[in-house]
Amino acid sequence: MSDAAVKTKAPSEPLFSKKNKKLVTDPLTDNNPVTIQVLGICSALAITVQVEQGVVMGGAVLFVLILGNLIISLMRNLIPSRIRIIVQLVVVAALVIIVNELLKAFLPDVSEKLSVFVGLIITNCIIMGRFEAFAMANKPWPSIMDAIGNGLGYAGLLILVAIFRELFGSGTLYGFQIFGNSLPGEETGLYTLGYVNNNMMILPPMALIIVGIIIWVQRSRNKSLIEQH
Amino acid sequence: MESTLDIFIKAIFSENMIFAYFLGMCSYLAVSKTVKTAVGLGAAVIFVLTVTVPVNYLLENYLLKAGALSWIDESYADIDLSFLSFIMFIAVVASIVQLVEMIVEKFAPALYGALGIFLPLIAVNCSILGGALFMQDRQYSTILDATSFAFGSGIGWFIAIVAIAAIREKIRYSHVPGPLRGLGITFIITGLMGIAFMSFSGIKYGKDKPAEKTAVVKQTNK
Amino acid sequence: MAINRDSNSYTFGFAIVLVVAVGTILSVLAIGLKPQQEKNDIVKKQLDILSAMMDTKAKGISRKNAEEEFKKYVNLDDAIVLDVNGNIKEGVKAFDVDIKKEYKDKNMKDADRNFPLFVAELDGKKAYVIPVVGKGLWGPIWGNICLDEDMNTIKGASFGHKGETPGLGAEIAQPFFINRWIGEKISDENGDFAKFEIVKDGSGSAKESKVDGITGGTITSKGVEEMANRCLKVYSVYFKNSKK
Repeated sequence: MSDAAVKTKAPSEPLFSKKNKKLVTDPLTDNNPVTIQVLGICSALAITVQVEQGVVMGGAVLFVLILGNLIISLMRNLIPSRIRIIVQLVVVAALVIIVNELLKAFLPDVSEKLSVFVGLIITNCIIMGRFEAFAMANKPWPSIMDAIGNGLGYAGLLILVAIFRELFGSGTLYGFQIFGNSLPGEETGLYTLGYVNNNMMILPPMALIIVGIIIWVQRSRNKSLIEQH
Repeated sequence: MESTLDIFIKAIFSENMIFAYFLGMCSYLAVSKTVKTAVGLGAAVIFVLTVTVPVNYLLENYLLKAGALSWIDESYADIDLSFLSFIMFIAVVASIVQLVEMIVEKFAPALYGALGIFLPLIAVNCSILGGALFMQDRQYSTILDATSFAFGSGIGWFIAIVAIAAIREKIRYSHVPGPLRGLGITFIITGLMGIAFMSFSGIKYGKDKPAEKTAVVKQTNK
Repeated sequence: MAINRDSNSYTFGFAIVLVVAVGTILSVLAIGLKPQQEKNDIVKKQLDILSAMMDTKAKGISRKNAEEEFKKYVNLDDAIVLDVNGNIKEGVKAFDVDIKKEYKDKNMKDADRNFPLFVAELDGKKAYVIPVVGKGLWGPIWGNICLDEDMNTIKGASFGHKGETPGLGAEIAQPFFINRWIGEKISDENGDFAKFEIVKDGSGSAKESKVDGITGGTITSKGVEEMANRCLKVYSVYFKNSKK
């Protein structure tokens, strides 16, 4: 795990040292929070029907994670250990409320679609997991890097799943028609040849199956990740 | 409109926390290796949901909702504290879990032995907060409806985790391709179970609706 | 560090400071953003009403200019509110009625429910916009139905939903489904309400008062049928009386 490596870091380290870079790049691939650490799946899957929602959700989590990691890391020597968990929860909840209020004010359409899933960022295990495992024991700067890495890893996976589901389920990407117009009676493009959108892709269970396949591909490429039952 | 029983059945099957909304997936995947632990966690989820949702319901309706404070004095009718709901709900969940843990430890050591280790896990289980948020979103009209929704959701979650744990116990003897072993196959099985559960969406609720069963089951085969 | 971080007084002090700080920040933010959020709700409502009357996308109406465009077409002073028997209710502002909230409230008596009716002007002709609300498979569905100046023919509609299955029930918001409603009449020759029926065999376009449903979205389609029948019935009484 990348967490242990940073604890012993020298004070004069440059801002973008190898270790710090590793904090960002590791979670993108071999230590992805979703496919490897199995964190934060709850809210991830239900909203990946469209790329736009995936982008907004990923952005929201990234925002909460960076600020939260920073705040917790700054307060790490002040927080009484007995109420540690609840302090972390309060920080996350406050940040999520901020995100929710901002979304409601400036992106009302997206906020309506995400409905309760914005609130569920609070219990997104990635956030609490990173607070507990990293920010409580590390200085602010590495904590931010760690947050960026994990947030991007999460957002990346969300968007990847959303691309598959939107492209094959609705024939669009980010709302733009890729295969032509699918409306009955006015088909264009591929649809004139008899191509039909796969409605299965839109149904929630397909998100799980796609993540399962992504895990399969990832672990086939990197044999060291394979589980021994 | 929906009766209390409808809400209950619906929460178990067609609006199952795991298969329809993926709430509580983290602990669902982590604690589903054996049936025994799955039963323990599932029971704890039923219990905590049934306790926290009614409390949050009272909080929502007598404190947070726009105009909810008017029971104190009419002049408070304009106050809308709903922006605080996330923080209140999670605080209620966290403190009730803590409280329950202490009470159970003191008065029912045997039960604590069975549930104890799972209780702290539950504070960050999405399905608990999800239960509170869905309750707020759907605005159940009585506390009874909200409680039956919570109880039903808990049972739905219990069924889901026990079912996957049983499958995982058996699948250990099957020849699963290496890279899919463990996590990958669990995801795919959960997806397939979700598709199976979708057929429950054809259950007829209430009295006034005409029978639509066959029509809806068809949609999943499409 | 001199302070004992595990002492009770420190823990309490920390908790209090944290709660006060978080509370202050959130309250300031919530109050600061409230006007913007309320405006969003109003704009959304206006946009919904407008989209029942015309193709808002083609006319370039979006959230940004909805308010001005809305004023061009709809005169809120002409809007009225009906009670469940189709009589005009005084003292209630049509735009302020929240029918979604009233629909959800099971304890509300039918007699207390409000039925707003917006009167608009489109291409020199009068148009009537009726907001409707009901429930689909997963959650609430709603919409606006626009009638021609004969107070009878459906001229346009817009439907919305909270969480219907995309590709199936969610298709009610698509133009192809809405087009199936256009031209249908809400009352028969005598002026009495003509009940709508969603049909599955594709015969809806030919027959009056029948509309084709959506394949695989049966419950949601039926929800739209129930919603339209329940709401429009009230208005047909009013229209019948006002035509006399």
